[in-house]
Amino acid sequence: MRNTFIYRSLQTLSALAFVILISSNSFAQDGAALFNGNCTSCHAVGKEVLGPDLKDVSKRRQIDWILKWVKNSSAVIASGDPYANALFAKYNKTVMPAQSLKDDEIKAIVAYIDAESAKAPKAVAKATGGAGNEKAEDDHTGTILFLCGIVLLVLVLILGKVVKGLNKVVRQKEGLPAPIERKPLPALWYWMRTHKKLVAIILIIFSCWSTVKGWDTLWNIGVTTGYQPDQPIAFSHKVHAGDNGINCVYCHSGAEKSKTAGIPTANVCMNCHKGIKESDLQLENGAVATEEIGKIYKALDYNPSTQQYGNNPKPIEWVRVHNLQDFVYFNHSQHVKVGKIACQTCHGEVQEMTSAKQYSKLTMGWCIDCHLATPVQVKGNHYYDNIVNYYNMPDTVPGHQHLMKPDTIKVVNIGGTECARCHY
Amino acid sequence: MEKQYWKGLEELRNDPEFEKLKNQEFAEELPLEEIFSSKAEANNTTGRRDFLKILGFGVGVATLAACETPIKKTIPYLIKPEEIVPGVANYYASSYFDGRDYCPVVVKTREGRPIKIEGNDLSPITKGGTSARVQASVLSLYDSSRLKIPMMDKGPATWNQVDKAVMDKLVALYGASKPVEEVKDKKGKVVKGAAAKGNGATGKSANIRILSSTIISPSTKAVIGDFVNKYPGTKHITYDAVSFSGMRMANEESFGTAMIPTYRFDNAKAIVSFDADFLANWLSPIEYSRQFVANRKLRGSNKDAAMSKHIQIETALSLTGSNADKRIAIKPSEMAGAVLSLYNKIASKAGEPTYGSSDMGKADESIKMAADELWNNKGKALVVSGSNDKDVQLLVNEINKMLGSYGSTIDITSPSHLQQGNDAEVRELIEDMNNGKVDGLILYNVNPYYTLGKVQADAFKTGCAKVGLKVTFADREDETAANIDGFIVAPDNHYLESWNDAEPKKGHISLTQPTINPIFSTRAAQESLMAWAGIENKSYHDYIQDYWRKNLFHESKTKEKHLMFEDFWNKSLQDGVVEMVADAAPASEEKGKDKPKEVHKDSKKDKAKEAPKAANKAAEAAASIQKSAKGSDFELVIYEKVGLGNGNQANNPWLQELPDPISKVCWDNYLALSPATAKKMNFKQGDVATVSVNGYSVEVVVLEQPGQAADTGSLAIGYGRTNAGKTSSSKTKVIGVNAYPFTQFVNGSIQYFVTGVAVAKVAGKTHGLAATQTHHTMMGRSPVKEASLEEYRKEAKAGNEQEYVSTMDGKQKPEDVDLWASKENPGHPRPNHQWGMSIDLNSCIGCGACVIACTAENNVPVVGKLEVIRSREMHWMRIDRYYSSDADPKSEDEKGDLKKMEVPSEQPQVVFQPIMCQHCNHAPCETVCPVIATSHSSEGLNQMTYNRCVGTRYCANNCPYKVRRFNWFKYADNPKFDFNMNDDLGKMVLNPDVVVRSRGVMEKCSMCVQRIQETKLVAKKDKRKIKDGEIKMACSQACPTNAIVFGDWNDKNSELSEMGKEERSYHLLEELDVKPNVVYQTKIRNVEEAKA
Repeated sequence: MRNTFIYRSLQTLSALAFVILISSNSFAQDGAALFNGNCTSCHAVGKEVLGPDLKDVSKRRQIDWILKWVKNSSAVIASGDPYANALFAKYNKTVMPAQSLKDDEIKAIVAYIDAESAKAPKAVAKATGGAGNEKAEDDHTGTILFLCGIVLLVLVLILGKVVKGLNKVVRQKEGLPAPIERKPLPALWYWMRTHKKLVAIILIIFSCWSTVKGWDTLWNIGVTTGYQPDQPIAFSHKVHAGDNGINCVYCHSGAEKSKTAGIPTANVCMNCHKGIKESDLQLENGAVATEEIGKIYKALDYNPSTQQYGNNPKPIEWVRVHNLQDFVYFNHSQHVKVGKIACQTCHGEVQEMTSAKQYSKLTMGWCIDCHLATPVQVKGNHYYDNIVNYYNMPDTVPGHQHLMKPDTIKVVNIGGTECARCHY
Repeated sequence: MEKQYWKGLEELRNDPEFEKLKNQEFAEELPLEEIFSSKAEANNTTGRRDFLKILGFGVGVATLAACETPIKKTIPYLIKPEEIVPGVANYYASSYFDGRDYCPVVVKTREGRPIKIEGNDLSPITKGGTSARVQASVLSLYDSSRLKIPMMDKGPATWNQVDKAVMDKLVALYGASKPVEEVKDKKGKVVKGAAAKGNGATGKSANIRILSSTIISPSTKAVIGDFVNKYPGTKHITYDAVSFSGMRMANEESFGTAMIPTYRFDNAKAIVSFDADFLANWLSPIEYSRQFVANRKLRGSNKDAAMSKHIQIETALSLTGSNADKRIAIKPSEMAGAVLSLYNKIASKAGEPTYGSSDMGKADESIKMAADELWNNKGKALVVSGSNDKDVQLLVNEINKMLGSYGSTIDITSPSHLQQGNDAEVRELIEDMNNGKVDGLILYNVNPYYTLGKVQADAFKTGCAKVGLKVTFADREDETAANIDGFIVAPDNHYLESWNDAEPKKGHISLTQPTINPIFSTRAAQESLMAWAGIENKSYHDYIQDYWRKNLFHESKTKEKHLMFEDFWNKSLQDGVVEMVADAAPASEEKGKDKPKEVHKDSKKDKAKEAPKAANKAAEAAASIQKSAKGSDFELVIYEKVGLGNGNQANNPWLQELPDPISKVCWDNYLALSPATAKKMNFKQGDVATVSVNGYSVEVVVLEQPGQAADTGSLAIGYGRTNAGKTSSSKTKVIGVNAYPFTQFVNGSIQYFVTGVAVAKVAGKTHGLAATQTHHTMMGRSPVKEASLEEYRKEAKAGNEQEYVSTMDGKQKPEDVDLWASKENPGHPRPNHQWGMSIDLNSCIGCGACVIACTAENNVPVVGKLEVIRSREMHWMRIDRYYSSDADPKSEDEKGDLKKMEVPSEQPQVVFQPIMCQHCNHAPCETVCPVIATSHSSEGLNQMTYNRCVGTRYCANNCPYKVRRFNWFKYADNPKFDFNMNDDLGKMVLNPDVVVRSRGVMEKCSMCVQRIQETKLVAKKDKRKIKDGEIKMACSQACPTNAIVFGDWNDKNSELSEMGKEERSYHLLEELDVKPNVVYQTKIRNVEEAKA
């Protein structure tokens, strides 16, 4: 009897704990999404961006004050709150726009910030350190190998000369006639005639190798993986998406709506860079951040000191990185919004890149490989109802006995490898 | 009895040329013999070694060239307009009006450039229909031959110079440098002319004339009104190249006001049309096409099926005539007599007096039948006439009165504002000019030197020399500006760049809004007038808003009520159309006195009062007709083609390449003669004839046209433009000949036929006609099925008999014989969708709107006349036209004796059949492709993958429908095809979602797969299924009669599935059992019995 009670209470407790775990987890997750969606254009944790560093913000301010401030900062300033006015003065009298968030949502964001505050400094250090070392190592290996090769070649040549000389001496001593002196080319012919089998093997190996290489080369014509052209502005994805955690679709807003993700227009840059006018940040390619920001102002003909726009704007001519052929129709929103594919799947770890780099091959084989393997997000989407029903039909239905029933409905099962899905 | 159709006279006659061509899709043979013959080999210097060298070099160069990836720039907006998402189309409601055709439209724009025109479904007038000319108008926007800056003294000028020159001359005329104030009386009404003189002005008056095409914009009329007030003595004259002046004059006599009524073809059970081509060119063809077909649609039970009866009496075979249940071909000089004859026959039934002889000889019986048909449908009958003769129109009015058409099929309470031209005033203007009575002439959307008759055009030119101030708002240096010295050209915007409003008929208002900034330095004509009238600091947009606020909004005459003007304006702008309360006063400048008298068909009092008057009028008209009716040996009709119309879009290569629905000839106009007449006059198709009358003569190619009345010829206007732009210019090549000079003033209005024409053969001269006619034959099969209404009432499957195929087990239904599928294994699955189309041959009128819509949507290239002659036209969609024959194909043996059919029937019945890729589920093209460039999708589409195609053309050879097109050349960026795709501006019209095909690949209808994919994506994002009707094909959307329905066969409730269940449905070439996804419905004619 007693045992049962303990058992039951344990069960209840664990269930409760589980629920709490789940809910708190989802709470933090919501916070992350909300933070990325609403805050990252101006704020970061452990770093001052456009607005103050939000690290340990809950330790500095009461939650009630935060709620008030986020919902309507101007009102707080107007109320004469000294802390608020100090902040306002410190950040060039730039007003934080009022956010239409619910109390719960703000609390979730604060919870997320708290969680991030605990681990913020470590992560950054690790990320930068790791990337740098790897690159250095790469460079050395090549040079060392090359030098070794040269040394070995010199050694072989010297040894050959020595052997030849010794041979001559030995023959002289033994009274044999001196070997016939041949010029290098006839010597090679002579050697090849005397080593026919070896020559044949070398030839076979060489032709196999060149065929494979040639085939590979032909397949890769027009494939520009790793293409990372210089851009007119040394924009660093690492600084924006990586260090400051700005959501990809904040700038590439077309990705969820259109076939193109879109190059952000200068007015999007100005959302933040109206405030962040200069930075002593030294970018990896040697560019100075302040100068690069100045290029946006120049394009817009904007004077940061007077905050006035001139009437001689000049568009920024970016270099296109991803050049899909004209006969391919690709739609970002299909993949991002409907397929819920993360940007990084095709574009790589952009948040680690300085300027954008082509990560994927963008060949048809690469597309098809993914379409063969990726499950379709059929759950809750009534568009796919007919297809789900179709694959759930019993074997007795004519035509269904031979049907290969997939475990999960993949893109290929809804016709995702058919020509006219991409070519029209 | 089976009817035999033939695709052209060549087929009918079994021309050796045709026999040679019909078995091969492509007209030219490859010179293989030449290459392989031993003689050639002896001379051939290209040996094996040379070949290998060239091959090696070629591969090397190609590899090297492929290695280099070009650097591409990508330039985003600096500040993105809020409403634009790159890659997503925006749609704006607007209105098309070119002085002639009116159509409310929705403009599709991508990244700020218009790329496609659709009809506006909200319009009660057109209900989403369009025409070929409306569809093509988007290309006219990107016309590089438009003027980029104003012109003065045949040289470039700035707007400041133009304004100064015009103002200087105006000041010279009116003396005062001080602007004349607008004078208003107490009621705010502008006091015109003399009253304004004494006040602030110098008191001078000058004779300025504004000559414009029909203006249906109330705001534009107000601007002209302001100009007139500012410069007293100015007069606005309306001139339409194709005039309806006769009808206006007749209505003025009949109803006291010069107006054009609104016709209701959908209320008519019997329609008799005298040369009125109301499905293509007469008044408001988009509206009438829909109405005409509306009560000829056959859905549901066949037992009580009803259709209107349409009888067409005409000279040339028009689009309307080819859709008629009965067609009578008579000479144009007999037309007035025919109307009189019908009048007499109806009058004798109605007990009214008759006038003169009413015998029409051969046609008399037909007219008697027409009279019976009309009288039997009294109250639901309609008689229309395309004549521009006042007397003829008067008689037509009297006939309609007797038939009780007013109030039922003709509505005079909400008159149409189209076609306001007044021929008499134009004539008077030319006289005044020659008498030196005109000081200034402003031309707006008219090109009189090109469109006037020979005598008038010459007089206009000499008259112009006596006019001081000459301005034209032409968008290009047209014939008038180029040939007459002294014109200041102040180019007007294209309608897609302009603000405007329109009131096509009383109570229906619509807006035109710009969908792109003006591409060139052009200025709206209204703004030019406003600038000269001293209305400064106000754009035409503000002017329209003010006008609307004053005249449309605050009197709250709109059906939908709004509190704020801004709401009203925004809603109107979004919808494009506004409906006014029925009894509201007309918004246009027409004053109270113009109000038409109501005609009550059952008001005895009115009738009694009017009867003697009407009789008088009829008597006068009849007398006049009898006096003037004088025929001649050969008569010429001047008509409009479906594509070019009056010729204002002659520089539009899409319209030039649109095959005429009847003759299937593009890139030319021609003298159409009936085969018998041609034989009598010793002409063959392609011969060149000199046509001369009244001092004007042209050399024009002859076309044999069945259905043309004997001893007549017809010649289309809109061609022969010497200054249209790069497509038709005297500097390069003029397309066709100008037929306008043959028109002449008779009985106070312009007449579009001439008698006493001399036709002579130009010996030894021939001219190639680019016809899509005898190519792509159906190999003697019978693709169009039809039946008479009687037969259909008795048997729903009439004319649509089951096809059988012969097998070892005897005759079987095609669907029972299958190479691939069986009951156990029903073939490839269609788990989600199976797209398909249904085409109702009973609704299709053959107008060609779909062909142009398809061209615009799918980046179909224009190939030019020479390539069309080589049968290399690229249209993905064609409309086959078949003539019927009276000959009995089964007379001698089972297959029928084709030779007996060599006698052309004089009056063939005509059917139209739109044909595009049928998307066969067992597609013959797919099985023969060696590289699997054409394959089938799980949604039933026959997919064509251009990047995979190597151009073997096996697929085209194996296609039973001949719908595949081969890119013989790279048509884009190729100076040899100097059309819109060889032009940076012209390329702006391309649809960015559809690839531009390159040389050496096959292409065909994709069933607008880009539209399917787009809508699927929208549905996926909304997590819902696709709604029926949500996806529209370019062709189905453009169709004014809803003949084409697109849908999903898997959706059992879709309209497509419903159409498929109709007993009239059949697959084209069903006996082949290729299982097409496209289905056709039998054509039903309202005749007692299908012609034997």
